[in-house]
Amino acid sequence: MKKLTVLALAIFFRVAAYSQPAALPRINQFVDISGTVGSSEGSIAGSYVYNWRIGKRRKWEAGLGIRSTSYFGTKKDFRTAPARLARSTTTPFIIVFAGQETQNWDTLTVQRPFINSVNVSVNFGYNFNPKWSGGFNIDLIGFSFGRKSSAILTSNGVTRTEPAAFTPAFNLLLTGDNDYGSLNSEFFLKYKLSAHWGIRAIYQFYFGEYKTNDVKQTAPDGTIVDRFRNKANTYGAGLAYHF
Amino acid sequence: MRAIAFIFLIGVAATAGCTKNNRAPETRLDETIPVDTRDTSGNNGARYHGNFSNGPYGTVSGAVTIYFQNGKYMLALESIGISNGPDLHVYLSKEMLPINFIDLGKLKSTNGNQLYEINNAPDFAVYKYALIHCQQYNHLFGSAELQ
Repeated sequence: MKKLTVLALAIFFRVAAYSQPAALPRINQFVDISGTVGSSEGSIAGSYVYNWRIGKRRKWEAGLGIRSTSYFGTKKDFRTAPARLARSTTTPFIIVFAGQETQNWDTLTVQRPFINSVNVSVNFGYNFNPKWSGGFNIDLIGFSFGRKSSAILTSNGVTRTEPAAFTPAFNLLLTGDNDYGSLNSEFFLKYKLSAHWGIRAIYQFYFGEYKTNDVKQTAPDGTIVDRFRNKANTYGAGLAYHF
Repeated sequence: MRAIAFIFLIGVAATAGCTKNNRAPETRLDETIPVDTRDTSGNNGARYHGNFSNGPYGTVSGAVTIYFQNGKYMLALESIGISNGPDLHVYLSKEMLPINFIDLGKLKSTNGNQLYEINNAPDFAVYKYALIHCQQYNHLFGSAELQ
């Protein structure tokens, strides 16, 4: 009987040991290319990500990366960008949920926007199992360059041509409309095809910014505005290679 | 391999979205131009007129007339002939180049007789040019001074 008990316990612990998923590697390091499309707009992006898996079972991960994003579109509307005019409060984080001050908004219709940005990104993820994971990432700081484009500023029913709107050089995440420049962010679901390859389904939220040279908005409080922002919602897919 | 094919398809879809044709129709359009006579109250009739000349891009021939009829201003393109281009619009402009302008809409056709409604009542002493303008590339095809 004693021998049977020992054997049963041995079998139980053996099965239990097999049912425990193998811990994921401590480091998740990969490169990724992706493309997204929206309404008369799209983007392609390439990134390198270095994540540390955390927690006892290493399900959670967080880390940094560097991402290059190219955004392009046709006749896209960019609205008044300064947070003080665009939203009811400029308090960081709270601004995301703040009311929109649409009476202060003017529209800069950029005819052929094309913005390239290179930013440091922060990445968060959760591994549901070895095959499936999901996460969020957002650009923190970086720089942009892009094509100048003619644009039309519509202000209080008056339309004026801006011959050469341009994308500002500096990007900085300050949450919501406090942001400067062009910043990419994604929610994604990833499926690992093999030890190295994975594919992603992506919802992308992209802040793009253009500035004007000749034509400027005069805000209701008298300030002169030359920064205009487009918030693009796009969907797409990505391909990742894990090291 | 399937993943790569999927990414490729996404790319094709994105590219296709960027190449949609937005040139003006070339079928001749003949809308009824108001008769150039004043009614008994003296309100209706032609107010301003001009002839198109070519801009730096494209060619425009024909005339433009501003009519006032039933309480509204209308811009009439008469016997017009325009070399086609992308995203052509009809403007009323303060300057010969479209810096300050009113967009009357996309060009209905590259030839024929066409009418465009003018909302409100702009000051034609200020908005004294009619333009055919490629909005997407900021190219002026032709202009006419209204007199």
